[in-house]
Amino acid sequence: MAKTRYGFLIDLRRCIGCRTCQVACKAENDVPLGVYRTWVKEVEKGVYPKVRRHFVPILCNQCEKPACTRVCPVRATYSLPNGIVYIDPHRCIGCRYCMAACPYSVRFIHPERKVAQKCDWCWPRVRDGFGPPACVASCPTRAMVFGDLTDPESEISRILARVPTAVLKPETGNGPMVFYIGLDDEAARLVEAGGEE
Amino acid sequence: MDMSLLYTIPHAVPPREAFGLAIAIYFYLTGLSAGSFIISTLAYGFGMEKYKPLGKVGVVLATLLLIAAPMFLLLHSGRPLRAWHLFVYLNGTSPISWGSFLLTLYPINCIIYGFFMFRGNARLTKIFGLIGIPLAIMVHGYTGFILSFAKAHALWRTSMMPILFLTSAMVSGVAMMILVTIIKDRFFGEKREVNTEVVFGLGKMLLWLLVFDLFLSFSDLAVHYFGEAESMEAARLLLTGAFAPTFIGVETLLGKVVPLVLVANTRTRNVMVYGFAAVLVMVGIFAMRCNVVLGGEFIPLL
Repeated sequence: MAKTRYGFLIDLRRCIGCRTCQVACKAENDVPLGVYRTWVKEVEKGVYPKVRRHFVPILCNQCEKPACTRVCPVRATYSLPNGIVYIDPHRCIGCRYCMAACPYSVRFIHPERKVAQKCDWCWPRVRDGFGPPACVASCPTRAMVFGDLTDPESEISRILARVPTAVLKPETGNGPMVFYIGLDDEAARLVEAGGEE
Repeated sequence: MDMSLLYTIPHAVPPREAFGLAIAIYFYLTGLSAGSFIISTLAYGFGMEKYKPLGKVGVVLATLLLIAAPMFLLLHSGRPLRAWHLFVYLNGTSPISWGSFLLTLYPINCIIYGFFMFRGNARLTKIFGLIGIPLAIMVHGYTGFILSFAKAHALWRTSMMPILFLTSAMVSGVAMMILVTIIKDRFFGEKREVNTEVVFGLGKMLLWLLVFDLFLSFSDLAVHYFGEAESMEAARLLLTGAFAPTFIGVETLLGKVVPLVLVANTRTRNVMVYGFAAVLVMVGIFAMRCNVVLGGEFIPLL
């Protein structure tokens, strides 16, 4: 069997900021109150009345060279052969070092289980053949594409070959694997700057 | 799912604090421990007879502080009962993994060193004192690497962190030993008289350590200030932002500049002034730990 490397693509021109992905993720992964594995970040570009709102769904980038796995003292988080960064909830001691290392702030401590958790592109669901990740399956505008980057015929490979894309914080050298179509440079900097909303 | 929840989903996730006060306290305590251990070896390891009165109290404090410090790690960790995982599943690229061994070996060595010191075995005391020095440096130096490897945060990802932490450890350790000498001699000494030779000797050490610490702190801040976007933002946070009162006011002015002037001024040279300077330094270094740990992750990443 050929090697698989999953990738994730979000077409921001299609995103309407409805947060269905956020809700679907909560339901699929049983994410407790107050924490999120994925969320839609909203930033405003320009000054009224010439203003535009950008919606940028955020999820784990499943980096090629993840900063989080390198610093985990017990190797509870690691890259699967398909590129997904996974967490062994039985080994994690909840020291939060991975949270300190992740430039995307996608990790959190599960309020009850007290271990680190994050988006894993619904790996258990994908592995067991229930289709694409819950966010991809539920997106009403089909803005999200999930697939195998090593297969040149997959939808994601075909789009990535033709359409200009961008990633968040490429300067970290982590090799993020969530590609955005239409990620405006100024909007990206606003997203990366954090702050309100 | 309760439909009302759908309306309360916030627009963005609140910043997720990774470290926080418990870790700042942990860094402060290991720093004090490493500092007092090194002071204790001045007499028993390097033969500086002047500091002999600090040998025993130094090693007792170093041991106690280093037994107390990891309690804050357990407090901070989500699953403290899984702490044994740290010794079974190792990761060579994680400073926390190095630390699990340093935090075990260092107090054991402290206890052996102290045991021979109280027994009066000068030769073995010296050997374990000298073994302890690299351990003391590592047990505090590794905490600097913890922060520098957390590359998401601009304030932390510099090679300054280990040396900055070691210097502030020595600064706070020497200040604590000045206070300990004053309290020990004044309240528990035979003559109720403070050993001024020791206090002024330590004061001189404190003076040069403070100068070096100010230089390092300035270099770190200056390079951040002229650095890339995130670094500049971190520098602004310390200089004019939310952390300016504790960084400029408490850490730098009260904790370094004022004690430096007090200790350097030979006309005001007396035990009470040195004691006051030592208190200020200890408060200042605690503020420094908080500024670095809490300030480092204050700026949201996304």
